[in-house]
Amino acid sequence: MSDFLQDDAGRVPGVIGDRIAGALLLVLAVGAWWLSHDLESGFMQPIGPGEYPRLISLPLAALSLLLILRPGFNQRWPGRAALLRQALTLLVLASYAGLVKPLGFLPASLVAVVLLVRLFGAAWKPALVSGAVLALALYALFEFALGIPLPDMPGLDW
Amino acid sequence: MDILAFLAQGFAVALEPQNLFLAFIGCVIGTLIGALPGLGPVNGVALMIPLSFNFGLPATGALILLVSVYYGCMYGGRISSIVLNIPGDEPAMMTTLDGYPMALQGRGGEALGLSAVASFVGAGVATLGLALFAPLLVQFAIRFGPAEYFALFVLAFATIGGVTGGSLVKSFTAAFLGLLLGSVGIDAVSGVPRYTFGLYELYDGIDFIVALVGLFAISECLIYLEDIRGTSRPTLTLGSAMPGVRSAGRCAPTIARGSLIGFVAGVLPGAGAALGSFLAYMLEKRWVGRDGRFGQGDPRGVAAPEAGNNAAAGGALIPMLSLGIPGSGTTAILLALLLSMNITPGPLLFEQQPEMVWGLVAALVIGNFVLLVLNVPLVSLFAKVLQAPGWFLMPMVVMVAFVGVYSLNNSAFDLYMMLGFGVLGYALRKLEIPTVPVVLGLLLGGQMEFNLRRAMSISGGDWSILWNSAISVGIYLFAVTLIVAGLVYSWMVRARLP
Repeated sequence: MSDFLQDDAGRVPGVIGDRIAGALLLVLAVGAWWLSHDLESGFMQPIGPGEYPRLISLPLAALSLLLILRPGFNQRWPGRAALLRQALTLLVLASYAGLVKPLGFLPASLVAVVLLVRLFGAAWKPALVSGAVLALALYALFEFALGIPLPDMPGLDW
Repeated sequence: MDILAFLAQGFAVALEPQNLFLAFIGCVIGTLIGALPGLGPVNGVALMIPLSFNFGLPATGALILLVSVYYGCMYGGRISSIVLNIPGDEPAMMTTLDGYPMALQGRGGEALGLSAVASFVGAGVATLGLALFAPLLVQFAIRFGPAEYFALFVLAFATIGGVTGGSLVKSFTAAFLGLLLGSVGIDAVSGVPRYTFGLYELYDGIDFIVALVGLFAISECLIYLEDIRGTSRPTLTLGSAMPGVRSAGRCAPTIARGSLIGFVAGVLPGAGAALGSFLAYMLEKRWVGRDGRFGQGDPRGVAAPEAGNNAAAGGALIPMLSLGIPGSGTTAILLALLLSMNITPGPLLFEQQPEMVWGLVAALVIGNFVLLVLNVPLVSLFAKVLQAPGWFLMPMVVMVAFVGVYSLNNSAFDLYMMLGFGVLGYALRKLEIPTVPVVLGLLLGGQMEFNLRRAMSISGGDWSILWNSAISVGIYLFAVTLIVAGLVYSWMVRARLP
């Protein structure tokens, strides 16, 4: 948000990044324009449901063209190790999202938090301890203190 | 005096035990979140919104809680700036310049105490300004029709990019991306589903709470993962915060100037607290001139930005409450909260629900005192939290985000959506495309389209209604002026910085 406070040290020219982003946004804008013609105009209304998205996608297309033609700066992109760590974290989180209901909150969270703490750079021992503490504390906080029901473990009432 | 009567009524609301408790809890949580490096008011409030929904709080209570978190974050941001030389949040950036040198000289406690008093005065000035000016703005805004409101939305988007000084193309791209995302879901006027691709989860549109938590909390964690080692932190002896109170007496003129500058910066749509603290610091440096030792631990260099950013935080609430136009990223999120509770901020809010508006103002006054107490004698407790390692804090943030979002609808779809927005937010930040306009677009798009279509059905399809009133032309002119001013300003900053 406040570009003026950032130091320039971590910046790189965004020739590739900005162009890829511009191309993706252009596809998005053209697609939105295309699909908006399927939205039938409401009767008795001067502006139908498709008009407004068209009004939006036109400037979006123009701006993404500008981004392709005149790319600016990017923050430095992460190295391979960091990318791997981020991908693994997202994988853990996505699996957790899918498993929290079938497995129940406590077992799924225990595994997920321990893996997360590991990925954020702790050794196994503190990861196991703090993961267990964090999962139990969150469970206690939400289930008992705040009264928000979380998915139970199958076959058990907690 | 009408305002006094309203304010008395407001204090009656704010002093109800439940609301008092919420204000207190909000201040503590806010100071904690603000103190943690990387987590600022935007993340803090975004993280708290799903929770406050889950509590089933009434609108007034939820708003009091979140605004206390907001004020608390603004206070807390300075702690890690001073102690670690890492700004706790964006607006606290300027405080590192003189706060950390003071800490290195063993005057950390003084800096913390001084900045707490400066924050207190800044927030106090802003709250007073809110009570005085918001009703005036409301009387003006009461004459607004749909065309004028449409113009106001254009103003909000024009300024959010213009004033912050980043790349204009990128800010506007972000805004239009947000607007397009905001058009997903069933069209409220015709009932036609748009861009839902048959997914019934999308019929209600993209839930902006889910989007927010993803864009801010999850993307912050992805950024953190880039470098998990972090820098080694020297342990500093802080000392008592009490000398800071005396030091604040000496800096009184600085604090007064910083508060006023910050307040004005906050009221301007799109500027926000980061600009408030930046301007307060730069102008104070200019004002004091050669006598100052800015950058080497001058107390005035701590007092000015802290007064400025807290005043801006309060000032930003004025356009949010009275016009429904957020003045900053965080107020955009507060606006999201109100809209999702079916409360539309704007002139009518003051007429229809005065107890809520004035209860909020009173809660801010009370919260400000609570924060002063928390931040002068107890500040070393908060400074201790900073010693907690990132590998513990960040997973905790992720988990709170997960549980909060999951319990909104008990749906895994929301969680996937949140992760998707997390990746989007991360990519945008790497591309230096600001995320706040995306949120604004997502949030205001519905209202903007609604007003556009209402204006068009009034005029029978004649587009000229949009620029046919003096008020809307005035608003457009103001928008253009702000964009031009923003361009000139960012050019000046760029010329100044090495």
